[in-house]
Amino acid sequence: MSIAKTRQAGGGTTSGNAAPDVAYRPRPAGVVHSSSSPNNGPEVSTTGGNGPRRRRHHAEGLEAGKRSTRTLLWILLAAAMVLYGFPFLYLLFTSFKTPIDTIAVPPTILPREWTLENYTNALGRSGVLASFINSTQTAIISTLLSLVLAVPAAYGITRYKTPSGRVFIMAALVTRMVPPVAIGIPLASMMSSVGLSDTPIALSIAHTTISLPLSIWLMSSFFEAVPKDLEEAATVDGCSRLGALWRVVIPVVSGGIAVTAIFAFLASWNEFLFALLMTAIRSQTTPVVIANFQTQFGLDWGSMTALAAVYSIPVILLTLLLQRKIVAGMTLGAVKG
Amino acid sequence: MSTRKTISRLATIGGLCTAVALTATACGAGGPATSGSAASSINVLVEAGGHAELTGVAEQCKKDTGLDVNFVELPYDGLFNRLSSEFSSGTVSFDVAALDSVWLPSFKDAVQPIDELFTDDVKKDIFPALVKEAEVDGHFIGMPAWTNAEIILYRKDLFEDAKNKADFKAKYGYDLAAPTTWKQYQDISEFFTKDGMYGTDVKGAVETEWLAHVLQAGSAMVLDENNNVIVDNAAHKEALDFYVSMTKSAPPGAAQVDWAAAQNLFNQGKTAMTRFWAHAYRQIPKDAPVAGKVGTAAMIGGSAGVAGVPGPWYLSVPKATKNTDNAKKFIKCAYDNNSLGIESSLGLASRISAFEKYQDKAGYESFKPLIETLNGDATATRPATEKWQQIVDTVLIPLLQKAVAGGDTAALLADAKKQIQDLLK
Repeated sequence: MSIAKTRQAGGGTTSGNAAPDVAYRPRPAGVVHSSSSPNNGPEVSTTGGNGPRRRRHHAEGLEAGKRSTRTLLWILLAAAMVLYGFPFLYLLFTSFKTPIDTIAVPPTILPREWTLENYTNALGRSGVLASFINSTQTAIISTLLSLVLAVPAAYGITRYKTPSGRVFIMAALVTRMVPPVAIGIPLASMMSSVGLSDTPIALSIAHTTISLPLSIWLMSSFFEAVPKDLEEAATVDGCSRLGALWRVVIPVVSGGIAVTAIFAFLASWNEFLFALLMTAIRSQTTPVVIANFQTQFGLDWGSMTALAAVYSIPVILLTLLLQRKIVAGMTLGAVKG
Repeated sequence: MSTRKTISRLATIGGLCTAVALTATACGAGGPATSGSAASSINVLVEAGGHAELTGVAEQCKKDTGLDVNFVELPYDGLFNRLSSEFSSGTVSFDVAALDSVWLPSFKDAVQPIDELFTDDVKKDIFPALVKEAEVDGHFIGMPAWTNAEIILYRKDLFEDAKNKADFKAKYGYDLAAPTTWKQYQDISEFFTKDGMYGTDVKGAVETEWLAHVLQAGSAMVLDENNNVIVDNAAHKEALDFYVSMTKSAPPGAAQVDWAAAQNLFNQGKTAMTRFWAHAYRQIPKDAPVAGKVGTAAMIGGSAGVAGVPGPWYLSVPKATKNTDNAKKFIKCAYDNNSLGIESSLGLASRISAFEKYQDKAGYESFKPLIETLNGDATATRPATEKWQQIVDTVLIPLLQKAVAGGDTAALLADAKKQIQDLLK
């Protein structure tokens, strides 16, 4: 912006903002400048005795600008880390506190006395191990269901741009627009009437209703980013449409599939309301068990935070393992034409 | 490795995972379903805290009758939704449900009468207010499993301190002791409100305590026997004014103080007295500053005598279960072995004889005041309307929060009357 303004102002060499103007002057043959900055690329000529100083000031100004931008970014990053990281750290620290420490008034961040008692209590509670298995089963089945349905749906919508496809992709969002409890109670009744009540498969289907719309939208943006030429080339080489999808397109969007999978997995892993309405003895998942530490007679903060901390470990590990794929997938979606 | 091979490998692993997961899904990790089908087992739906109360009963029941009891444990906030959902669908995943007393009117059409379990001996051994509440439309629909009521908890160490005793007597002209009148309660609260400590708490985010004052002032709570709204009568106004007056001896921010906050404040030694559910006495953490220093007293009476609002839970049998006989067998078992709940971490029961059996034992000092409060002349249960929870959430708690924040109590009560009338239309 400042450069453009300087140009429009006529490029006077004596103005205080003259530095950008210098860069546009042709370099006279044979002129050597001792003060040229090695970082500024080819040397440029200046007129008058204060030229080198101006260029040095320009370079220093750019450096200072970069430094201040970097500082600002670091501050924003630190603020974001505190904003997102502090609740988790507080949860983690609380899980190591003694019962009286967890309810201290005013609250303390670090435990006064570190203890593993909360972990012993939480993990020793009956049904916790079973709930972990149920959560894992449900999340895996829901993720697979989401991918199996979302990948072909998104491919069809992006490759056959029909009006019905556009209507479908908008309609897919409808389930996200309705309050979950409005879907949960009818879904629980339906599952019960087909004999699937209190099973992980029923809960997985319910969770798929949450993750499927987002999965279709995500996969659509990833498929959009894949040039049609790739498929055409595969077709010329003898691939069928499905063959081209399987052999060419899906490998290209594997990062996107990883992103979609992790979102679908997280949606199921952390879901509470449907699990509350649809599970009982056989399929209760860990979020419901965690909530059970809050009773009418009190809240066992220590055990609740301990179980929540343990429950978050698989997700953190999964995210770290798939980090490269996720970043690649997000970039793929971001540069679509 | 080529991309194609990678994909093939991933597909194989994915397929295997699916197969394993789907196979395991056949019954889930929690065990096989038994609801309403197995001859010698039942599913009992309970709030998470109630599970502890009934565990001992279930074990004894297994020994006595061979009945296997599976508990479906849910958090309090989700239990009502779950019950509503299953009752409305007509298919239930449980054979017995532990219901909060305020839900009985809402679910009266979905549960079976259990009149045959309410013999004369049973009725004699249950607190009168609970017998009355269990009977809806001429039938008993729930057996009390455990009950609770607010009593006074106070800091015995502070009350027995020689300097405090002398200073208090000098200032108020009578001995410092557990309060037996609300005037004494006010004086003691004022006396201990100093040096960062408060005499008591005022809970603006829960309604029960104010309603106990209404009973003590001689009125029914919110609705009279004909379901007329009486929330703006003199007793409600007097009770509300008294409740609000205590804020000067209580920690700031009363509008946000609920049960958990008040319990924390007392356990941390920030308040000298609290009116609280009796179970809290046995739940004081061993490492709390007040552990071993707490005394108990019955709820204080007003012009109508001692009164509290009981907090019982009832065991009911849904009409939709196919396992009615076993369900009733379990409820009888729970009644017969009611005192086993006292041995649990919560330490509550519903039978008078069960409380009396433990009242003189060390560690159960809260039981005598609890029995006295539950037997109080004016003690009464909440109005039997299915809109009660809605009235509490949308009218009474907002009213209290505005009142303790300095609102005009008469205007607030008049406004509440209109809102409740609208809800009941």
